[in-house]
Amino acid sequence: MSIVLDRAAVRVAVDGRPEPKTLLEPVSLTLTERRIGVIGANGSGKSTLLRMLNGLVAPSSGAVAVSGFDTVRDVRAVRRRVGFVFTDPLSQLVMPTGREDVELSLRRSVRNARERRAQAEAALDRFGLLALADQSIYELSGGERQLVALAAVLAVKPDILVLDEPSTLLDLRNRELLRRTLAGLDQQIILSTHDLDLALDLERLLVVEAGKIVFDGGPAAAVDHYRMLCAAAPADVRGAGVRGADGDTAQP
Amino acid sequence: MRGHGFLLANYVPGTSLVHRTPLGLKFLLVLACGMGSFLVADWAAAAAGLAVLCGVFLLSGAGVRRLFRAVRPILPVLAVIGLFQWWQLGGPVAARIVLNVLVCVVAAAILTATTQVQSLLDGVASLARPFRRLGADPERFALTIAIMLRSIPFIAGAYADVRDSARARGLDRNPRALVLPVFITTVAFARQTGDALAARGLGEAEDPDP
Repeated sequence: MSIVLDRAAVRVAVDGRPEPKTLLEPVSLTLTERRIGVIGANGSGKSTLLRMLNGLVAPSSGAVAVSGFDTVRDVRAVRRRVGFVFTDPLSQLVMPTGREDVELSLRRSVRNARERRAQAEAALDRFGLLALADQSIYELSGGERQLVALAAVLAVKPDILVLDEPSTLLDLRNRELLRRTLAGLDQQIILSTHDLDLALDLERLLVVEAGKIVFDGGPAAAVDHYRMLCAAAPADVRGAGVRGADGDTAQP
Repeated sequence: MRGHGFLLANYVPGTSLVHRTPLGLKFLLVLACGMGSFLVADWAAAAAGLAVLCGVFLLSGAGVRRLFRAVRPILPVLAVIGLFQWWQLGGPVAARIVLNVLVCVVAAAILTATTQVQSLLDGVASLARPFRRLGADPERFALTIAIMLRSIPFIAGAYADVRDSARARGLDRNPRALVLPVFITTVAFARQTGDALAARGLGEAEDPDP
């Protein structure tokens, strides 16, 4: 599985501004590692970058391809291959109970109601959620909800899992549960996070700042770079190019 | 966000006769009650119909409390309508109108309390299947119903949250402080739901994909 961003950029028109606002500067990347993270401050462009991978945000210029499928032209094929988990599971869970939400995910692919039910139960059982299958999603804890959302996405067997700050709303216990769960998945995982412990578990980390990828490399060096950025005044980081793990700097 | 308040009764697992009744018959019951509310002109007949439906609801094992929870949200509205109709058209007409609305709500509550949402969606999709020839997508019909069922409690919860916030700031008598935030929250919710569905490939037209 590989995701290729070819000078992909995102700009949006804003009322009252003559120039479109840039959410993400042109970026070229090839994402092949099994565990990739994106870290950066709030509003830096992490979510925009991740949303491009599932076709939720279309690049204003350039292109994004998942296993050769363009995220704009072949968006359905892309979404079948790329599952997306949102920060707040309540934004994602459409049905009143976990079982029904997982069944909803399967409606397109499994026509037989009995088979759909069996597959939904298997998906929930995988995360130990079968006992909570018929409970209202509002009665579940934050961690349980996040796992139900994950089960609903994984039920359709995507090749790639994109998670937008999946641990932000979770307490320490649920973060650990999510961390262990993600570690056991076969899918390629690309996630954004503010949880630096989780980030350090990954193979490759991108640091995003003010709509630019300012660091791309190993997790330890990336976290150090991010800490340095956070300590610096905002004016110091704007205009920075991409810095690799070897210390070289290049414009994205 | 509060999401517990629900206009219709949530599914109550069970094996009662009402649970086992075919979905088509339950759909017909709701349809007949809706039609009947226009046709029944006698308040006593409406009261008898309501009593029968309450009996059917209790027969399902869903309980009196759930029955009350299903009708409670509309009681204030019915009180206003009833008083107005009483003043305008007299007691019997007011009673008939209020009872007919309750008949429809209880019939819908029987359907939702004894039918799983997925079965409901399968039923809606089956009903919409003949429209496929006209280019309609039955799954989209079903999804629309699912979103509607989800949105009602969300908006009710949003209103409750905004009302509490307005009260805390002493703005509970200001309609703008109530209406605008609920409107904005609802639009944001609609966008989030759209994103969530799109991310899962739900609601897209059926066609062969690579």
